[in-house]
Amino acid sequence: MGFMDKLKGAFGKPPAKEVAKKRLQLILKYDRAGLPPNAVEAVKEAILKALEEFPFIDTSGVNIHITESENTKGKIEIEVPVKNG
Amino acid sequence: MADKVICITSGKGGVGKSTVTANIATALAMKGYKVVAIDADIGLRNLDLVLGLENRIVYDIVHVVEGVVPPEKALVKDKKTKNLYLLPAAQTKDKSAVKPEDLVKIVEELRDKFDFIFIDSPAGIEEGFKTAVTPADTIIVVANPEMASIRDADRVVGLCEAMQKPEPKLVINRLDPKKVARGDMLDVEDVLQVLNLDLLGVVPEDRNMVSYINRGEPAVLFEESIAGKELRNIAERLLGKDVPIPRWSYSESFLDKLKKLFGSE
Ligand SMILES: Nc1ncnc2c1ncn2[C@@H]1O[C@H](COP(=O)(O)OP(=O)(O)O)[C@@H](O)[C@H]1O
Ligand SMILES: [Mg+2]
Repeated sequence: MGFMDKLKGAFGKPPAKEVAKKRLQLILKYDRAGLPPNAVEAVKEAILKALEEFPFIDTSGVNIHITESENTKGKIEIEVPVKNG
Repeated sequence: MADKVICITSGKGGVGKSTVTANIATALAMKGYKVVAIDADIGLRNLDLVLGLENRIVYDIVHVVEGVVPPEKALVKDKKTKNLYLLPAAQTKDKSAVKPEDLVKIVEELRDKFDFIFIDSPAGIEEGFKTAVTPADTIIVVANPEMASIRDADRVVGLCEAMQKPEPKLVINRLDPKKVARGDMLDVEDVLQVLNLDLLGVVPEDRNMVSYINRGEPAVLFEESIAGKELRNIAERLLGKDVPIPRWSYSESFLDKLKKLFGSE
């Protein structure tokens, strides 16, 4: 291993436990909502297609994610930004 | 006492349910409490092995369910620890041989005669799990600091909620302080951030565990066992004592980073 790789390993790469925690937090969000792991991607694709016909929407900025919800198993939140100008 | 009937469960197999059950039960019996441990892992009995009682079994839980003997007649008295009793699982029957209502009935019959009743749950989230959890006032989820175990533990917590049981308490088992310090293994805070449960204890990886089990002598009987010490502390916490929980955690220092950089590690 070269010095630069070691430098990256020591100071750049997150420790395995951080990676594990991030992965688990995501996995459990889907598990708790009872959704397959590609659910959000699939919803996002469908929404983007539907939004194409509106020129005032900035489709590149559409943001979609799962959050917890009080009265349902989970909630999918979608942010749809309007273009500037 | 609200914490009298305690079920130990996990979802995933092999994470240490039987080890934790045998040790906490032994620790409480050593303190003078009258304790019974019920092996609810029908068809895969092994709590008897951890306690070293396998060749004293005459009747098992299925005999009790079938009405062959009353529960008290099937109990095996521990030979090393006074006040400790085992209700063994059947080795030949399948999980459906004991239904939730059967175990509820057995627990009710034993309730007045014991200070603590432990139920060692089978792995999985099906029938056998539901049977083991149904009579419990308190549920302990055992998890290893490892992805699959934590994911399964979360499933179990969800199922307990659906069964309208109180939220399980967490025991983290087999935490390896060396791997944690290196950042290779999830530490206590990480696990709590992901699972968000009340922490009852953290049991470290103990290389002598296999030999304790081979001898049929629980780790809590050994003063020098590092796991035994934390398992005794868990028993104290069940009695309401406020014993601090060691927070083995990741703390890679600048010096460690330099060592990694220049050293051969
Ligand atoms: N703290 C520990 N340190 C080292 N080994 C352990 C520890 N806890 C459990 N084990 C080992 O893990 C294995 C599975 O434990 P067991 O209690 O039978 O799990 P389960 O009942 O959940 O299937 C056993 O071989 C046991 O020796
Ligand atoms: Mg077991």
